[in-house]
This record gives sequence, structure tokens and C-alpha cells, in this order.
Amino acid sequence: MAIKARAGWLKLDSFSSCKVILFLILISIHLCELNAWSPSAMHTNNWAILVCTSRFWFNYRHMANTLSLYRTVKRLGIPDDRIILMLADDMACNARNKYPAQVFNNENHRLNLYGDNVEVDYRGYEVTVENFLRVLTGRHETAVPRSKRLLSDEGSHILLYMTGHGGDEFLKFQDSEELQSHDLADAVKQMKQKRRFKELLIMVDTCQAATLFSQLHSPGVLAIGSSMKGENSYSHHLDSDVGVSVVDRFTFYTLAFFERLNMYNNASLSSLFNSYNPSLLMSTAYYRTDLYKRPLDKVPVTDFFGSVMETIHTDSAYRGFSVKGTDKAEIKAPLNLKASQAERRALSAYHQDQISDFNKEVCSFHCIWSTLHKTVVEKIEDADTFVNYGLVVIIPLVAASTWLWR
Amino acid sequence: MEKTRWFWVWVITSLFFRLVLIYFPENLNLGFRPEVATPLTSLRRLAEGYWLKQSSMSPYAGSMYHGSPMLLSILGPLTVKRIEGQPSHLMCSLLFVVADLVTAMLIRATGQTLQLAYSQSLRSLNLVSLLESSETLSAGDIAALVYLWNPLTIITCVGSSTSPIENLLIVLSLYGACLRIAPLAAFGWVLAMHLSLYPVILIIPVILLLGYGPDAPPRKLFLQKNSSENGNSPSCHGNYPCNEVTSQEKLPLHPFLWRPVMHFMLWASFWLFYVFVLCSISLKQHGGLLEMLKRTHGFILTMEDLSPNIGVLWYFFAEVFDFFRDFFLIVFHINILFMILPLAIRLKHRPCFLAFVYIAISSMLKSYPSVGDSALYLGILGLFINELAEMKFSFFLFCGYIGVSLLSPVMHNLWIWRGTGNANFYFATAIAYACLQIILVVESVGAMLNHDRMLRKNSTVKL
Repeated sequence: MAIKARAGWLKLDSFSSCKVILFLILISIHLCELNAWSPSAMHTNNWAILVCTSRFWFNYRHMANTLSLYRTVKRLGIPDDRIILMLADDMACNARNKYPAQVFNNENHRLNLYGDNVEVDYRGYEVTVENFLRVLTGRHETAVPRSKRLLSDEGSHILLYMTGHGGDEFLKFQDSEELQSHDLADAVKQMKQKRRFKELLIMVDTCQAATLFSQLHSPGVLAIGSSMKGENSYSHHLDSDVGVSVVDRFTFYTLAFFERLNMYNNASLSSLFNSYNPSLLMSTAYYRTDLYKRPLDKVPVTDFFGSVMETIHTDSAYRGFSVKGTDKAEIKAPLNLKASQAERRALSAYHQDQISDFNKEVCSFHCIWSTLHKTVVEKIEDADTFVNYGLVVIIPLVAASTWLWR
Repeated sequence: MEKTRWFWVWVITSLFFRLVLIYFPENLNLGFRPEVATPLTSLRRLAEGYWLKQSSMSPYAGSMYHGSPMLLSILGPLTVKRIEGQPSHLMCSLLFVVADLVTAMLIRATGQTLQLAYSQSLRSLNLVSLLESSETLSAGDIAALVYLWNPLTIITCVGSSTSPIENLLIVLSLYGACLRIAPLAAFGWVLAMHLSLYPVILIIPVILLLGYGPDAPPRKLFLQKNSSENGNSPSCHGNYPCNEVTSQEKLPLHPFLWRPVMHFMLWASFWLFYVFVLCSISLKQHGGLLEMLKRTHGFILTMEDLSPNIGVLWYFFAEVFDFFRDFFLIVFHINILFMILPLAIRLKHRPCFLAFVYIAISSMLKSYPSVGDSALYLGILGLFINELAEMKFSFFLFCGYIGVSLLSPVMHNLWIWRGTGNANFYFATAIAYACLQIILVVESVGAMLNHDRMLRKNSTVKL
């Protein structure tokens, strides 16, 4: 009985131990997941990359789309040095533009999008797939200026808006080349590995837009497209004065949503995404949230479309970014790498010997100085306090010598 | 007693005045004026260098700070410390006020020593009547008051520039040399040379002071007196020994004593070694001693920063071709070195005055002059007020200095801020200032030599 009971207890024990082990494994997986997902960095800055990929006069509306979004994003607080604006052609100063240096996105011509502070970073033929991918991944030639680089870090939220002509899993650049969806997915994966963003919102306004981000698999990415596979995206209306369509439907309704906002509204992304009416758009605005962990109704639109930062007011002087402690750490760290340092010391001593043998007669003072330097100085770890002590010692030294001299 | 009481009243009033100016709201922006703050002496640059040092970068990065690392350790923490409700750089300004006070006291002590030596030498030349006939003012007191109340000194003290410390060190070395305290003189000279390169030429007057003693009439007078005494005493005719007679009336010949000079050299090398060791430790990770020498003394000699100042070099080097740049740098610096030897030969019996002339010349022709340098030599000029009583053009110089001090900021404003003037306006005031300094040097040397001639005439007449 006892044995049976014990065996029974053992069995139960093994079963419960299995359960415990399984439970632990599940917990660890969950924790790993959490670790992989939990953001280690704070959201510190917002970037916007606005790309218009079409050229020619009849693609006026794509330019107007991009410039409208540029205006919105600037109005809501992102400064020019955080915006990379890529326009593939010049509509404002196009020979066919009846209103030179003016770009409108509505036939009422209420807003001139090409005001006096538009900074275009990539213009004309510079808008290529290669440059676009270089901007995303940050792999530029050394001569590329900072204004053309995406200098984001692991605390950045990036808005990537692309408009132009697209199709099933591609986006057309400049009527001569394509960006494919897996290229985009690879670039985003590189960005994630290099910690170039914390969260990324991709907004695409082309035909069959949702296919462009179908291959994405990096966490922290939210994507919305103006139409699904097999659907076209349509322009909103034709401006008979300018002669071409001036805006696309998806962007028009996006702007209608944003024109109601100012910098301090905390409208959420879910309200933006739910504002798209398929019957008005004549297509289905599709968004994927499987890679994005935050619930959309908790994310304010200004996390991507604007830049509202929390400021902390402090009275103390700016202390710089390294405190004394890190200084000490820098000095102490080499001591841990004893082997390499010993090697280095041996090498330098060897060189010193060679040099000293070579000019023994000439540089006696120099040799004395260098040996003194090696022995005395390198032993001293905390240079600053030693210098302070030395300075403090000067005054009594002078006073004593003066008094004794008399 | 009355005089000393009034002296101290004036001293305390000047300190009070400085404190009032420090607490005044900073409308004057003295730290931004090129006449006051040069790339070498500006306190804002020192604060920047200190911040760079605290961020574990070399303090010389970015070509902002060009001073000594020891100044960084002393003044750096003071620039950062902020007390609620007080103006910024308060602690540094208080330190400069203290430095000014100590400088004035040292000038006074030097003046007293000089005056004592002067009256002694006059007495030994039997020119006591000269002493009593002319009303000799206490040169030390007057020089100290001139230094404290000179508007240029006050502007330098209040205007966030590190010149007061350099002036203190130069005066310290002169004081030590006058009193023949070799360690003090060596300390002052080494540190003054370390902070700004030009006091290195003061080694000659310091050595002369240590060797010969304070200013005295020319040795010829003493020799003449001795020989005439020898000639007049009857017992020296023939072969009779005349030692006992002459030994009684033998005048102090001030032979050149080598011992204090040797001690000075030893102490100078000790202090130099000390300073170099401290600096190399301080800059251990950022290039060491060579980097410091390149960035401080190299910066002074190569004139890298051409921002306008009250000197004459910036205008010239803004337009000289690169091919000739080194040549003209050598020319300008040799301009100072040329005058060292002739002046030393002519004025070796008056080393303190020689120091004044050297300071005046170097502050005129140095790479980055400021009003702090002229504050120093105008203060030291007060030490010789008895000998230079008959200096010509003194009123003209006085008005000239006032005029240049007032016009120079105006021209700078016209040029930089309003855009209605150009660099020539500002350079005109710089040239006028240089001319005034030249006239001052020439006339003061002339007046001193005239004074010596007058002494010689009087002593020979006496005989």
C-alpha cells in the first residue's frame, strides 16, 4: 500500500514535475519574447521619409500628395532636418505649370503647398531605388551630406510615405525601375538589426498598395496601404485649371483627417485608420498590425505624424554626456585586458629600446624624460585629482621657499 | 600716517567699485568685446575648454581654448559653479578682484623698495638736496592706486578675461627679483611665461635685478665719484697707501652678483619641471606636453586666429599670401626681439624700468593684445613717476588713451553690428593705439635718460 501510494505519489510527482517543467519552459519563452519585444530605448525623436516616385506632368497628383503630407508633418512639429523629402520631378517649376512655383492639392487652390520653406533632399534623378535603400539602411558614400541621411537611432519613430505607380509586389521609380516588396522587407530588416528605428509606420498610396508590405517580418512595423491586391487607387478630382488631377483619394482623406488636428490633439491611429471609407476611396484601405505590438487606439497620431516631445526643465548647468564615473571606467578598463596591454607595453618598450640604442648620445634628456614619463605617469590613474593636489601644493611651496630664503 | 590712511581708503573704494560693477546687470557684455577678451584670455573659451575636458575630450579640441591646463583646473570648476540669483562667473570675478588687489600691493611694495634704493643711491652721491628740493611722491602708493583705478584695469577685471592672473604673475616676478628672493621671482617668471609666451623676455630685467639690485643711477657716476675722491684725497699722492681713506668713503659699486642669478636659474628650472609634469599628467590622454605646446605657444606664434583685436597683426595677416606668411611671422616676432639687446645695454642700471619698456613693447607687438596688457604697464609706469616727471607729451598721451578707449568700441560696432563701417575703421583705432604706445615708450625712455643726464650734471657740478 505504502509502495503503491509512494509509486502513485512518484508518478504524480513526475507528472507534476513535467507540468512544472513545461510551465517553466513556457514562461521562459514568454520572457524571451518579452525581451525580444520590450523596447529598451525610449521614444526620443520622430523622422519622416516622404517619397514621390513618379515623374512627368500627368503625375502631378503624386507630387501634390507628397507635398501635402510634408506640410502636415511639418505643421504638426517635425523639423526639416528630420524630414527626408524625395521628389522625382519638379512640378512647381515645370514648363507646363500655369501657376509657376505653386503646387495645389485642391481645385479651390486654397493651399499653396510649395511655399517658401520647402526643403527637398532628393530631387529629380536622384530619386532612385538605390538612393532610397541607402537612405533606409544608412549606407552612404562618405561624401553624402548629413541632410541627405536618415540619422535615426533606436529611439526613433519613422514615418515612411510612398506614393506613385505601383502594382503587385512592386513600386515603380521614375518610369524606369522598380522597388520590390522583398527589397523593402530586407531593408527594413537591416534597419531593425542596426537599431535604426523603434517603430516604423509605412503608408503607401499606389495601386495594389498592400502587396508592397506583404513581405515584411520585422517587429515594430505598422503598415497601411490605400488598396488591396487586385484593386486600383484612384485620384480624387481633376483640376480643370491646372489641367491634371491634383490629389489621390487616399491622401485626400488622410489630409481631411489631419486638417482637423493641431499639434496637441491626441487622436489615435485607430481613429485615423477607421476614418477611411471604402466607398469613398473606391478601394479598401488595408493595414497590417501583426508586427506591431501596441494597441492602435493607444497610439497618438503625433507619435508618427508630428513631434510632440516632453520637455524636462532643469536649472542646473548642462553637465555634458559623460560623468566622472565613465571617465574612470575608461581608464580602468584597459587594466582588465592585461594580456593585450602587456603585449602593447612590450612592443612599445621594444621600440623604445631600439630608438634609444640608436640615438643614445643625442637624446639623453629625451630618454630620461620618456622613462620618467613611463614610470611615473602611467602609474597615476586619476590624473585630475593628482593635478589638483599638485596645484594646491604649489602655494605653500612658494610661501615656504620665500620665507626660508629671507 | 594721513597719507597711508587715504591710500587705504582709495584702495578699498576701488575694490568696492569693482564689486558693484560685477553685480551690475551685464549690459556691457565686456566678455564679448575684442579689446578685452582675446582668444588667449577669454573666460568663455576657458569654460568651453573645461566642458570639453569634463566630456573626456582634449580641451584644445575645436580650437576654442588656448591656455594652460593648469588654469583649466583652477578656473574651470569656478566657471561652472552657479549660485542662485547671482550673476554668472561670479566666483571667477571675485578671484580676479583678489588678484588685482594682490597685484596692487606687490606694486606698492616694489615701489617702496625702489624708492628706498633710489634715495640711498642719491644720498651716497651727495645729491640729498635733490631729494629734498623736489617733492618726491611715494611712487609705490601712486603706482598701486594708478593700477587699481585705471579704467582699463577695471574693465579687464570685470570683463571675464584671465589677464589679471597673468599681470599678477609678472608683478610677482618683478617683486621677487627686486627683493632678491630667487624662488619667488623664478615662480612668477615661469608661470607668466607658461600662461602667455611673451614674458620670457623679462628674464633679462629679472637677471639684472637679481645681479645689480633695484634701479640706481648709472654706475659711471659712482665710478667717477670714487675716482675723484681718490684723486682729491692728499694721502694718495705718491706711494703712500690710501686704502684707509678711500675705504671709508668707498661708494657702493653694486658689482654683479652671480649667486642670486644661479639660484634663480635653479629655481626656474625646478618650477618649469614641476609645471611640465603637472601639464603632461593633466593632458595624458590627449596628446601630452607636445600637444599643449603646439596649441598654446604654437598658437601664439603662428597667429592662427585672425579675429580683430586692438593689435596690428590681424589686419596684416588677413591679407598676406601663404607663401610669405612664415616670413612675416618671423619679422613681427623679431621686431620684439630686436629691441631687447640695445635697450638692455642702455638701461642695464635700471632693470625695473627696462622691464616696463619690455612689457610695453611686447604688449604692442604681441599676437593678441588686449587692454589687460596696457593696464599692467600703465600701473608699472606709476613706479617711475619721480624720474619721469618731465616727460613730454604726457597730456597728449593721456587724451590719446581716452580717445582710443572710447572710439575703438564705436568703430567695432560700426563695422560688425551696423555694417556702415569696415575693417579699416577699426584698424585705424588700432594703429592710433600702437602709435600712442610707441610715443609712450620713446618718450619715457628719453625722459629717463634725461633724468640720468641731469643726475650726472648735478653730481659733477657738486664736485
